[in-house]
Amino acid sequence: MTNLSKIPIYYSFILIILTATFVEAKPFESTYEPLPSENILISNANIYDGEGNEFLSTDLLIQDRKIVAIGEDLPINNTFKVIDATGKWITPGIIDIHSHMGVYPAPGVSTSSDGNEATSPVTADVWAEHSIWVQDPQYALALKGGITAFHILPGSANLIGGRGVTVKNIQRNTIDSMKFPDAPHSLKMACGENPKRVYGNRQQAPSTRMGNAAGYRKAWIEAEAYLSRLDEYEAKSEEAKEIGYKPQRNLEQDTLAGVLRGEILVHNHCYRAEEMATMINIANEFNYKITAFHHGVEAYKIADLLAENGICGALWADWWGFKHEAYDMVQANIAILDQALNGKGCAIVHSDDAIGIQHLNQEASKALAAGLRAGFNITKARAMNWITSNPAKAAGIYNQTGSLKVGKNADVVIWSKNPFSVYALVEKVFIDGATAYDRESNFEPASDFDVGIISPNKNRIEE
Amino acid sequence: MIYSRNIALIIFMLSTAVVNSESVLIQDITILDGKNNEPFVGNVLIDDNKISQVSTSSLRGDLVINGTGKILTPGIISTDTEIGIVEIGALSVTRDDSSNLYQIGFSIYDAFNPNSVLIPWNRSNGITSTLTLPQNTNSPIGGLGSFFVLDSSLEISGSKDVVMIGRVGGSGSESRAETFAIIEDLLEFASSIDSSDMKTYKDIAEIIDGSPIAETMDLHPRDLKALHKLVNDELPLIIKANRASDLLKLIKLKEEYDLNLIIMGAQEAGLVASRIAESKIPLIINPINNIPESFDELGANIELAGKLEDLGITLMFNAPRDHNYHLIRQGAGVAVANGMSYAGALKALTLSPVEVFKLGNRGQIAPGKIADLIIWDADPLEPSSMPEKVFINGEDIDLTSRMSRLTERYTKNKEKPNGYRN
Repeated sequence: MTNLSKIPIYYSFILIILTATFVEAKPFESTYEPLPSENILISNANIYDGEGNEFLSTDLLIQDRKIVAIGEDLPINNTFKVIDATGKWITPGIIDIHSHMGVYPAPGVSTSSDGNEATSPVTADVWAEHSIWVQDPQYALALKGGITAFHILPGSANLIGGRGVTVKNIQRNTIDSMKFPDAPHSLKMACGENPKRVYGNRQQAPSTRMGNAAGYRKAWIEAEAYLSRLDEYEAKSEEAKEIGYKPQRNLEQDTLAGVLRGEILVHNHCYRAEEMATMINIANEFNYKITAFHHGVEAYKIADLLAENGICGALWADWWGFKHEAYDMVQANIAILDQALNGKGCAIVHSDDAIGIQHLNQEASKALAAGLRAGFNITKARAMNWITSNPAKAAGIYNQTGSLKVGKNADVVIWSKNPFSVYALVEKVFIDGATAYDRESNFEPASDFDVGIISPNKNRIEE
Repeated sequence: MIYSRNIALIIFMLSTAVVNSESVLIQDITILDGKNNEPFVGNVLIDDNKISQVSTSSLRGDLVINGTGKILTPGIISTDTEIGIVEIGALSVTRDDSSNLYQIGFSIYDAFNPNSVLIPWNRSNGITSTLTLPQNTNSPIGGLGSFFVLDSSLEISGSKDVVMIGRVGGSGSESRAETFAIIEDLLEFASSIDSSDMKTYKDIAEIIDGSPIAETMDLHPRDLKALHKLVNDELPLIIKANRASDLLKLIKLKEEYDLNLIIMGAQEAGLVASRIAESKIPLIINPINNIPESFDELGANIELAGKLEDLGITLMFNAPRDHNYHLIRQGAGVAVANGMSYAGALKALTLSPVEVFKLGNRGQIAPGKIADLIIWDADPLEPSSMPEKVFINGEDIDLTSRMSRLTERYTKNKEKPNGYRN
């Protein structure tokens, strides 16, 4: 198993080099520019660093948009702004690995309901970022919950729903300027009831779970063929290429080939244990890796299997019962996965919800409490990883954010109290060292949607 | 039939006899009484199904529970649930929350399933009783909710048809002006009927035949009876509405027809808060919901609960109608974090629903009240806290749920194949 999983990475490395000339100049590159920032010393804070550590009464130093030190008596000069955080808590910026903000914005009206291209069970050609409404008023609400980055996915109507995208939580007027620099794309796949219901109701495949499985496999067979045509072409000499026939690009296959090359991360909506196991078999059959199962209400039943395969579970603390495949909920789900194979599990608390994303700390708190009651020994500092470093890893941005490691982006949240308490409020949010939200001075963004919409001379939630 | 009923009665008498035999004393516990009082450390004695004494002096009981370091609250009452009438949301065969035929008089009472897995789950999270409400019907007012006590009896215990529901607002299918007109016509029609003319089924059918609105709405005698009860017997009416202008119109309707009106949702209540306060209309809000989910809810604000409380408005809480009705606790915690008083938030979960819907002698820790009580391991408004003990009608309820069983199955005896574990 371990050996197998290394193969695609090795291949993909070669393929990236081989195909570098083939791929056209990349459209839709991130043009993100951070907000203006200062050098900041946050002094005397209690810290969860997102790496499983807790530091009490410690200083954190932010310089040139990066975290440069955590410790005591850190040296600063007069260019530093000092924030006294005595009694307060600091965490990395919170990251949600499962959001539909922008593609299912508020208000939830049909004209902006752009998350499911439910016209064919395989729509690997669509990209969530082309649906995003940048004026969604929900981003600012999430920011006040400490969210500094989030991963926007297409919905789950389709077997293969299209590409997801990770964005910074800085509302801008173009999508490219919100995109997280160098974050990989993801591919949304979905198991179970949703695809078979949507298409089965139209007397079309898939209408069963076995139809679902056949649908994924057929798509990967085509993708393999596409990839081998590309490989063949790329292996040719320059002369042969000139007289040869260049394979025509295919948007759908571009995405699937990107997965097979290891460039695009698979995020797989899947509730039931046996379906997750089937999806792992399919991933092995076609040599791709599943980065995370999302929702995974039954992840606890196969926690060791997920841990063995290095697959994260992006899970709710307690959602259940809205569908049959979500019936076997246990609140210890997240903790059981976290503790699989002596703590090798990758557990993530996700929201899938514009309210939940504002309170991921509370969701983590419930999941932790359930884990402790189930007999596990898990620290709050470790549970903080569930909403910071683990989702950062699953989004492919862990080298840049997700923990308070020296050298990483200064994505930092200051909380009024311990963030595992319901009474903790976010006081300040820094994204790339820049203040994005400050409760004390009422410094907060408002989207254009919010402007003058109830009362002409006020913003939507202004006093 | 009679035979089986007698058996049930005997079993009932036997079980109460067992409960009756011992009084339970909860000692040295921090008491949050549900009635705006400051927390205090004291002793609570449960005799039969009632709280017989609450005191800071020492008391005697047959069975003593040490409450040191623990918190005692009244049982939490969830005011907007589908507990007992919906098992799995997306499975219509498990849904009993809507009617194809009746509109105003549709009652869900007889559909209640005391074996629903939602009951042990919500109970183990602190919910001891519920107002279970149907889906909205095609009529803007209509559909009857019932009150259920979540004890472990297969016999339904609760009160039938204690509330009517309704809705106004942006629907996409009709103007809200039409919605209000239908409500006015229905109320006008019901007010015009003399009770003495409604003696027989045939009488009622004839009244319907003679009324344009009743005919258009395809009302049945069952519907008209409910409507008559609404205008004559102060039946509480919960109307879901959010937009500020709709809230003002509802205040007028309340005054005009002397309705026992409660508004649910009320996302823009902050914009007309003083008018709501004057009207004394209680509200059911979800304090954690600040999403402008529709154009009726643009004023949604996380600080709503605190602002309404400041004006003396009676508040109750709901959570999304999706299985975890106990999450009104987390909502209450969020309300407190954003400006509401702690005692006020707790009252919204306990005593306020009892007072508004007249749910009997419960919702408060005081002598003579029904002993629906929770012993918490920590602050009940922290979502991480859980009940250690739940008493319903004075009975110490087993807190096992399907969820706790499944948790055990996958954390213990893992050497056995899962099908052979407990």
